[in-house]
Order: sequence, then structure tokens, then C-alpha cells
Amino acid sequence: MDTHYEKDVFPLPRFIALAVKNLRRRLVRTGLTVAGVALAVGVAVSLGGFMLGYRGAIDKSIEMLGFQVMIMAKGCPYEAATMMLKGGTGLLYLPEETFKKVQGDPDIESLTPVFVGVAQKAGSGIRDSEVGNAFSIISGIESKTFLVMRPWLAFKKGPGYDGGRWFAPASKDEVVMGYEAAEYEQRKVGDTLYASITPAGEPNPVLHQFKVVGVLERTGTQDDGTVFMPISTAQDYFKRPGQLTIIGIKLKQFNAVKLRDFEARWLKLPEVQVVGLQQVKNTLVGLVATAQTMIAAVAVIAVVVALIGVINTILMSVYERTGEIGIMKALGARRGDIFQLIWLETLMICLAGGILGSAMAALGAGAVETGIKSLANMGVSGSIVRITPAVIGGAVLGAAILGFFGGLYPAWRAASMRPVEAIREGGVA
Amino acid sequence: MTPPIIHARGLTRHYRRGSETVKALDGVDLDVHAGEMVSILGPSGSGKTTLINLISCLDAPTGGTLEVAGRSVGGLSEDELVEVRRGVLGFVFQQFHLLPTLTVTENVELPLTFLGLRPDPRRTREILGMVGLTARADHRPQELSGGEMQRVAIARALLIEPRILVADEPTGNLDKKTGASIFALFKKLAAEKGLTIIITTHNTAFGYEADRVITLEDGKIVREERTA
Repeated sequence: MDTHYEKDVFPLPRFIALAVKNLRRRLVRTGLTVAGVALAVGVAVSLGGFMLGYRGAIDKSIEMLGFQVMIMAKGCPYEAATMMLKGGTGLLYLPEETFKKVQGDPDIESLTPVFVGVAQKAGSGIRDSEVGNAFSIISGIESKTFLVMRPWLAFKKGPGYDGGRWFAPASKDEVVMGYEAAEYEQRKVGDTLYASITPAGEPNPVLHQFKVVGVLERTGTQDDGTVFMPISTAQDYFKRPGQLTIIGIKLKQFNAVKLRDFEARWLKLPEVQVVGLQQVKNTLVGLVATAQTMIAAVAVIAVVVALIGVINTILMSVYERTGEIGIMKALGARRGDIFQLIWLETLMICLAGGILGSAMAALGAGAVETGIKSLANMGVSGSIVRITPAVIGGAVLGAAILGFFGGLYPAWRAASMRPVEAIREGGVA
Repeated sequence: MTPPIIHARGLTRHYRRGSETVKALDGVDLDVHAGEMVSILGPSGSGKTTLINLISCLDAPTGGTLEVAGRSVGGLSEDELVEVRRGVLGFVFQQFHLLPTLTVTENVELPLTFLGLRPDPRRTREILGMVGLTARADHRPQELSGGEMQRVAIARALLIEPRILVADEPTGNLDKKTGASIFALFKKLAAEKGLTIIITTHNTAFGYEADRVITLEDGKIVREERTA
């Protein structure tokens, strides 16, 4: 061919521009197909973000516990796991003697006894809808040993909060409030807190008056929603003298062998179970694994349906443009050119859907998190949906791979059309 | 004398339709020289489109020999036929086959995308001027009349500077006056650019505007006349 045109060494942008114009031809159809892909990708990204965020939240919650092992009364391990991370009352209690027995274990670096109870907030209703706000988690602790486990706990500073301190070990009317608990009750240092506690075995609650001696900085854990008081006071007011909810333990060396040995030593006690960090993690992961699998299955179905939609749209477009494809071939388009054009259209739909779906999932992560938390107690504090650039990158890449494979058949069909037949069959402007 | 740009001997195109063999083209001998304007006349089903499809390398013959621009096209695969027609043949069809989402300029420049060539805006403007569409350069096909759309198709065929322009019933969708203007344009192109033009038409009056008229019936050439 003898022309004075310059060779186009990189014609891809012109093919892309042509593919975009083809897709704009049926904007509603293209838009709906992109929306289908976006929906599927959005579900997949949310699920990926949930899986990642939930595991991260478990890791953080466990790390912020400060101890690696806890000893508690025998019972449901799920209950143990959630209580450990989220707070709550155990139905069963350990005798204080257990603490004394365990204290002498040579592998223990430090340990702390904890009594957990629930107090009714003064003046609150007890209607079902208010249950979440009507009760406060009371944690009876031994501040000295407890702080060895959680050295990061610090008092909030600023007007009304300065001068925060831990309560005196045997104080009957001093409490330290977690960040959110104080925020919710609008309490500052020096304020009075009222709480109704129902003593064990008694039908009616007893109103107690406390002085807030400190408000803690936000930790992002269950501590934020807790009201701390001396363990002996809590045991006294709940009428459970000498009883503990858990014993938090930090081992000198923490590994599977040491934990197994430790467990073996203390499981001999008839009333206790030893729960390790990994075990708690596994329990919590196991709790949501089934739900995650089901959501993943829905996501896979959504992706397959979206892919079928994409193939259908592109195939329809190919059949509608039969004449046009024929003329392109007559004008010099090779099989590969037509293949590339149709394949690019598919890829673009999937990429647009992937980007849109990822953006929707990223923007809606907060709503998804609120939704999940309102449906079920996830047993952890902090954010459970974490949509990272890696999750989004993976989703967009996945959408591109879908487009890559989804475009093969329509592109092959278009590329295989014979120009004479295509021109005869098709008719355009 | 220079060899013909199209040289066909015993050119045959048979189709199978069930148990029947349809002889769409049956032993055609044809020579077309560079710069000639040739009309192919004949009733429907006479084999005009089949002949032009073979000459255009859009279809392969089932018998005989055919050389286009010095290349033998007998027995070539579809991919090989593409290579023969790329940049050598320009096409104009009865249906204009313009892409509705592209402007006139973009439609005209479309073949360059497939030939791996960069558009030259000056050259595009020149071609649009030649077919009288300078003012319509940024319009879309749906904003044009039938005659204008056919002119876009002609400009698209001309932009790649083909050696042969093939037009299959180019006035079939146009009124008589517009059809006459399109034929006048073909005559001008043949005279000014020395382009080889082969046109099929039902319209005898238009057909006799060409240098040579070939009449087909039942897949055979029954008459060949020089008009000038």
C-alpha cells in the first residue's frame, strides 16, 4: 500500500475509544450490565472487607486484653470467648481459691482476677428496645495487677477530666469509667454515678451511688464501655463474695507447648476451663465462618449471574452489529482487530462494574458494619469491615479477569463472522 | 500495454442449497485496467453482487482464476483475502454501513484504525471537501440525508487511497437525482484521480455513464459494451 499516512505504532487507544463509543450506543443496557457487575463486586468487596476486618478486630481485641490465657468456670466456650472480648456476665463463677492455687504456677508471669457483672442504669427503662443502653458492664478489678496486663490504660485529660486516678483498693463508692461509658452518661471526674445492682438471690435491685474518680482514654476495646470498681466492692454489691468471673494470665513463655502444659496442669481442677488466645480466636472465627461461607456463596452466584449478563449483553451487541462488523472486515479489519474490539468492550464493562462496585462498597462500609452489628453480636469491639486498597485492587483485578474470560466467546463469534454474510445479514445506517 | 488490475478467467462461484447446486457465477472472463470505470448491469439474481464480492476479495471463488492487483486470490483463506484487500480495495455498499456513534470525520477515518495508520486531519478535510461534506464533518450519520451518508461512505473508501473502488448498488437507496450526483462523483474521481471503479447497478441510465458496461444474466456475461 502506497500512502503518505504515518504508521500508528500504538493503535490501542483508538480501539479503546471505538469500544467506548460502541458501549455508549445503548447506554441503558450498558448501564444496567455495569450495575449488575458493580453489585456483584460490591458484595464481594464487602465480604472481603468483613473477613479481613473481622479477623483484624479479633486480633486487636485479643491483643488489647493484655493476657494470653484465661481461666474461667466450665461452660460454653463460645460464651467464654465473647465474654472475654465483649464483656458480659458468666452464669458460673470460679471460687477465689482457684486464684490462689493458680498463682503459684511457675510458668505465670502475671495474673489478675476479674469479676464481671451487669448493673441497671438508674432511671432507665427496661423495655426490650432499650436493653442495649439500659445496662452497664461493671468490671470488678484489682487495679494494681490489672494495669500490669493493660499498661496502656490512661486517664483522659482536659477540663473536667484532669486529676483522674484509680480508685482506692477497698473503696466502696469510687469508680473509673471507660471513655464511652462516661460519654454516654455525660460524667466527668468528680461527678456522681448511680447504678442499680441486683444482689444474687434477691428479687429487687439496690441503688448505689458512686463517685467518678477517673475517666479513661478511648482504647477501641470493651474497656471503653465498662465501669471499673474494686473487685471486693463488686463481689460485695453483687452478693458473690469470694467468686470470680475470670482470671487473666500472662505466661512467661507463650507457645503451644507451654500452653498445653499449663492447660494440662489446671484442667485437673474440676471447676475450671483454660481458654487460650488462639482458641478464643478460632472460636470467634468459627462463629461467623458459616455465615461468611453463605455470603461468599451468594457473592459467587451474583458474580456468575453478572458474568452471564455481560456475555449476553455483548453477544446481543455483536448480533445487532453484524453488518457493521462485516463492513469493518471489508475495510481491512483482521480477525484479531474485531476480537480485540469486542473483547475490550467486555473488559470495559467489567472494569467499570469493578470500580463502581468497589467504590460503593468502600463508601458503604460503615452502613454494612452497622447492619452486621445490628444483626448479630460479633464478640469484638472496633471496626469489623475493613476495605483496604488491597481488597479493592483484588476486586478490580477479579472483575478484569471476569471480563477477560467473559469476552472470549462473544469476541470469537464476532471475529469468526464472514464479511460477505455479515454485510448481507446486517443493516445499519 | 500494462497488465489488467483485475484479471479473471473461468471465474465460478457455486453454492450448495440442500441437494441443489446454485451457479451464482458460471465461468466469467473479465479484465479491468487501471483507471477504468466499469458498470455491471443485470437483473436481480444475475450474479452482479457475487462477481463484485469475488473481485473485492470478500468471498473466494469455487473455480477459475482471479488476480487482483497482481495477486492471485484463488484458494486463499479468509485471513489471506483480508491481506489482499487491505489498502488496495475501497468499498461502497447499497446500505451505507456508517457507525452511528461516530461523527462523519471519525467514520471516514475508521479504516485507518484497522490498517494501523495515523489519521492526517488535512487529508481527511481534503477528502471531505472532494465529496462536498466539509460542512458536515462533525455531524453524526443520523443527521445526514441518504445522499450525504453515501458520500461519507465514498470518502471512507477513498481515504485509504485504494487502487480499486468497488461499489455495490451505491444508488440503490437513493432517489434519482441524488443517485445521479453520486454517479457524477464517481466519474469525477475516475477522471481526476485515475481510480479504477467497478459499480453494480440496476439503473441502466447510470450504468451507461461508465467507460464500459458488462451485462450479466444467470451468472454469465452476456454483453460487454464500450460507451466512450
